Amino acid sequence: MKLEDLRGDIDRIDARIVALLSERMEKALLTKRFKKATLDEGREQAVLAAVAARSACLAEPAFTEGLYRAIMAESRRMQERGLSLLGFQGVHGAYSDAAARAWLPGAATLPCKDFKDIFDGVQEGYLDYGIVPVENTLGGTVGQVNSILVNSELRIVGAVDLPVEHCLLALPGQDHRDIRYAYSHPQALAQCRRFLERNRLDGISYFDTAGSARMLAEERPRSTAAIAGRFAAELYGLEIIKEGIQDAATNRTRFFVLAKEGSAAAEQAIAAAEATAIAGGTGKQAEESASPAPILRKCSAVFSTDDKAGTLFTLLEVFAKAGINLTRIESAPYEPGDYAMFLDFEGAEGDEAVKKAIAQAKGLASSFRLLGAYLERKL
Amino acid sequence: MKNLRLTGTKEGSARSIVEVGGVRIGEGLVVIAGPCAVESEDQLIRTAVAVKEAGATMLRGGAFKPRTSPYAFQGLGLQGLKILDKARRETGLPIVTEVIDTRDVSWVGEYADILQIGARNMQNFSLLREAGKSGRPILLKRGMYSTLEEWLNCAEYILAEGNAQIILCERGIRSFETFTRNTLDLSIIPAARSITHLPLMVDPSHGTGVLGLIEPMSLAAVAAGADGLEIEVHIDPSSAMSDKDQQLSPEAFARLMRKITALKAALKEIDEAEDKRGVKGPAMAAALAAEGAAR
Repeated sequence: MKLEDLRGDIDRIDARIVALLSERMEKALLTKRFKKATLDEGREQAVLAAVAARSACLAEPAFTEGLYRAIMAESRRMQERGLSLLGFQGVHGAYSDAAARAWLPGAATLPCKDFKDIFDGVQEGYLDYGIVPVENTLGGTVGQVNSILVNSELRIVGAVDLPVEHCLLALPGQDHRDIRYAYSHPQALAQCRRFLERNRLDGISYFDTAGSARMLAEERPRSTAAIAGRFAAELYGLEIIKEGIQDAATNRTRFFVLAKEGSAAAEQAIAAAEATAIAGGTGKQAEESASPAPILRKCSAVFSTDDKAGTLFTLLEVFAKAGINLTRIESAPYEPGDYAMFLDFEGAEGDEAVKKAIAQAKGLASSFRLLGAYLERKL
Repeated sequence: MKNLRLTGTKEGSARSIVEVGGVRIGEGLVVIAGPCAVESEDQLIRTAVAVKEAGATMLRGGAFKPRTSPYAFQGLGLQGLKILDKARRETGLPIVTEVIDTRDVSWVGEYADILQIGARNMQNFSLLREAGKSGRPILLKRGMYSTLEEWLNCAEYILAEGNAQIILCERGIRSFETFTRNTLDLSIIPAARSITHLPLMVDPSHGTGVLGLIEPMSLAAVAAGADGLEIEVHIDPSSAMSDKDQQLSPEAFARLMRKITALKAALKEIDEAEDKRGVKGPAMAAALAAEGAAR
């Protein structure tokens, strides 16, 4: 045993303590959505009693109690701040998490197990927003999300187009020449196949990209690296061996930000988008001025047509004649055997051409619903 | 020179051109400039901007340094590669950097446009094979005790792995002379040109090791028909952590660039005039072939 080994162990434990504290704060933030007053004395007493009861701890009971009182006071302070809660799928450091933070800096991003949890959380009101991936330039459409979206009543209040730059991450001090294994989500491994081959690394499947980074930071296996985003490296204190290791030059994922129709969060997002659009200018000019984050006004709709020849064509023709650029057309099953079409197009809800086209399309479709008019930010 | 199956010139076939990041080596004059070693981001980026301004076509800088003494600065390693990558993004100059360890070949290949194999490693056959497998362009320096034949055989190792992107670079050989660090063997340039199709460069910085000799030897190398030069330039030579006495200041390098550009243009005129007259110099290839046969 050496002093530096012991200190390494302590650093590892600290990393876990900070991560657990953060997770505890997140849960505390969520509890606020289920109670009226911030302070619940009965609950706090119960927590203190439970901690005291399992005090197989070297520290004095008074110390543990003091520590927990401080933690709960901080939780209350966090709850009082009224942070917006934004749900994403995966673990912290995921590309969704990075997109969420870019969309609403200062919000608390909360990890959710699967997409359904995000939709439910927003619908039930304990999350203000949810962010979900809809399409990736290499992987195509995210079918699971689209099939939930088609039957959901949530509104799209924003979109983020994020470059997915995979990085090879290792523990600080790891000699890159000794790396043999790279853990990551199978899709990320597939996207970096040639890089792995060139450097003779064995790719090992893991449930999540950021999850593999967290595992590396916590378990510290030898000769091992993880493939995840730059943000995961920052979050878990890992060193970037190489950035942009995906084989294809362009790898982007587009995310939708969802809010409950008519909720305060939805209204806020729409007002903020309006203010940005007026201040910054949107559309083609913004793209051409090579500004760092071009913003596009877009609308999304879902519709279905009668099972007859030419109905889809006639409906799409409305947009063609109005000179509206369609950016995505996708079909998704809304119940077994029946398909709905997703339509994304450029323009603002208030544009005369858009209003007219939507009215005409509504007349032609058997059902037509505008999912949202929003700003799409290209990062 | 019988076993030069792949490096040797073949009747009627053209000279090789190695294309790297838009630069064609083997055509015109390519100048690789930059510090001996990457010391810091500030030092490298400032040097890169200065050499680009002066007309350099590529950037050099060592991240892994093969030093005479194990106690001397060994380079920044991976960190140095990342800094080189940043300099490329800022200046657009392709990167040339040395690889000294077989385990590093693929990683250096991830960052650099050209992998350099230094004089001390010229006959490191495992390194040559690995460099060949990497498929990246290789700048192969001439070993300080090597004959032309030994040098070309080393290129043969890389070619035998299926990698034809090789540039040869003369950097001086050991002789009894001690005034200069090495003896720059410029006669090897026209000689090698007559028996190999590979592009040929000259490194007058290591070739002389004397600051005042770099400019005249660069001019001589151009006159001898080199396809390019590799020159050490440091933003502040007096503070350099290695090769302090042979790194040019950006000003001295800019002057050198002006002179070799003018010389190259003048040489072109002279050659064109002689071509018009239809007068050819003595045939080198025939003389060498005869010598080869005599052995």
